[in-house]
Amino acid sequence: MNNVLKFKNKKTDVAAQDEIYNFAYLDENTKRMIRRALIKALCIPGYQVPFSSREMPMPYGWGTGGVQVTSSCLTTDDVIKVIDQGADDTTNAVSIRNFFKKTANIETTEKTSQASIIQTRHRIPEEKLKEKQILVYQVPIPEPLAFLEPRYQETKKMHALSEYGIMHVKLYEDITKNGHIETAYAYPVKTNERYIMDPSPIPKFDNPKMNNNPAIQLFGAGREQRIYAIPPYTEVTSLDFEDYPFDPSKAPHKCSICGSNESFLDEIITDDDGNRSFICSDTNYCNQRMENN
Amino acid sequence: MQPILSVHNLNKYYGNQVGCKNMNLTLYPGEVVGVVGESGSGKTTFINSISGNLIPDSGKILIETGNETIDFLEISESLKRLLIRTELAFVHQNPRDGLRLDVSAGGNISERLMSIGQRNYGNIRQTIFKWLDKVEIDKSRVDDFPRTFSGGMLQRLQIAKNLVTSPKIIFMDEPTGGLDVSVQAKILDLLRKLVRELNLSVVIVSHDLAVIRLLADKIIVMKNGEAVESGLCDQVLDDPQHSYTQLLVSSVLQV
Repeated sequence: MNNVLKFKNKKTDVAAQDEIYNFAYLDENTKRMIRRALIKALCIPGYQVPFSSREMPMPYGWGTGGVQVTSSCLTTDDVIKVIDQGADDTTNAVSIRNFFKKTANIETTEKTSQASIIQTRHRIPEEKLKEKQILVYQVPIPEPLAFLEPRYQETKKMHALSEYGIMHVKLYEDITKNGHIETAYAYPVKTNERYIMDPSPIPKFDNPKMNNNPAIQLFGAGREQRIYAIPPYTEVTSLDFEDYPFDPSKAPHKCSICGSNESFLDEIITDDDGNRSFICSDTNYCNQRMENN
Repeated sequence: MQPILSVHNLNKYYGNQVGCKNMNLTLYPGEVVGVVGESGSGKTTFINSISGNLIPDSGKILIETGNETIDFLEISESLKRLLIRTELAFVHQNPRDGLRLDVSAGGNISERLMSIGQRNYGNIRQTIFKWLDKVEIDKSRVDDFPRTFSGGMLQRLQIAKNLVTSPKIIFMDEPTGGLDVSVQAKILDLLRKLVRELNLSVVIVSHDLAVIRLLADKIIVMKNGEAVESGLCDQVLDDPQHSYTQLLVSSVLQV
């Protein structure tokens, strides 16, 4: 409630009609419900907690789960950064950033180190996250077993009893078909040596960053109505075989803007002749490197 | 010798309808027990009740694992499911019920191996080939999807999938049902070979007396949910005492 009063008393340049929104759009009861789900999720790393997802002013698949989680975590002191595939300037990132600017009137940033909450679609920032930062993932399909076992009741049982043989069947099929584990994104992980979890469609390149991360990692799936989480400094391992170990892999190129060898790259077709170049997918990381040089 | 599986006074009702009543069974290691009876006699209810697919209303099921005797109806759900995927196996009448059709043949066989913790692709692959060979499926079909297999091949694949972890007790519900006679003969031949070779303990349900005569050591004849006669297979089939068994034996087609 404090947040609401603070926000309403604050003299802002937001148009009068926007003041009818509660702080960060969601009403306080909904936020309380989501926070309860978040706390439960943090207590049982990797476990999918059902929550009563709300209708948001954007379509499913555009990050309604992430937005609800972010909305429930925001305070007036927060600084928010929103990225989409690593970039701060794509449609999804810009519109969600504007959404919170409008409904919560909080500061936004593009700098990873300055943000207290980062909402992300499909990437983890290159820059190392710190304690007291929250990373909120947008999740399309939270159930890692969904494509192998369509019955929800059954997957719940499999999680409860750690019956995860079938997850390796998927990796087996991958190696059999392609000679190596072809899964390159949404690569399944085991959290805290217990629950198998879908890390949302981040590239497997980012998987090692989830392990032992000082920041809080929250996952929200709006359409599927599930929340899960990884508390700070939690062990997260990617599934593999003894003779086919997990390989984060990246394109064997340098960023053609900042020259980084370490960052995850996007491939860009530059002309009609099929010429292409590779650039950092994390725009903030790339810009910062350019500024520092 | 101790029985590997013993069932005492098992009852399963569907409302007021009798599923099976007062059923008893003793299965020794390396033994095959056949359950016969007309359709609707409770055979499938019985085998489902003792294999964990159905929960019986009352009775006792004891499974001997080697180190301890497990009361199958009293143990926790997690232990029960662990047993079902390691020590027990269930071969369905319709192989499509026991297989994942969108996973390759090899993947199907590998599932049980990986669920008990095998994590070496090379070794798993070796085991798959060994089992394809055992059930006489050509090795070149290892990466094909089950939906491209014929009925008989599907059934053999299901058998391989179930036996790969060397389960102690195998339940089969009409494993040759719905297959044409020559394929049936092949599957029976295979089953007989595997039973002898691997010293399997099997409970097999069939309405086909020929199948039971070929495979089973002991036999239970069911009618209206109850066992009307049981004993050594040859003895019961050659000298049936109960009028229903006599009817059953005499109604086998003589070619």
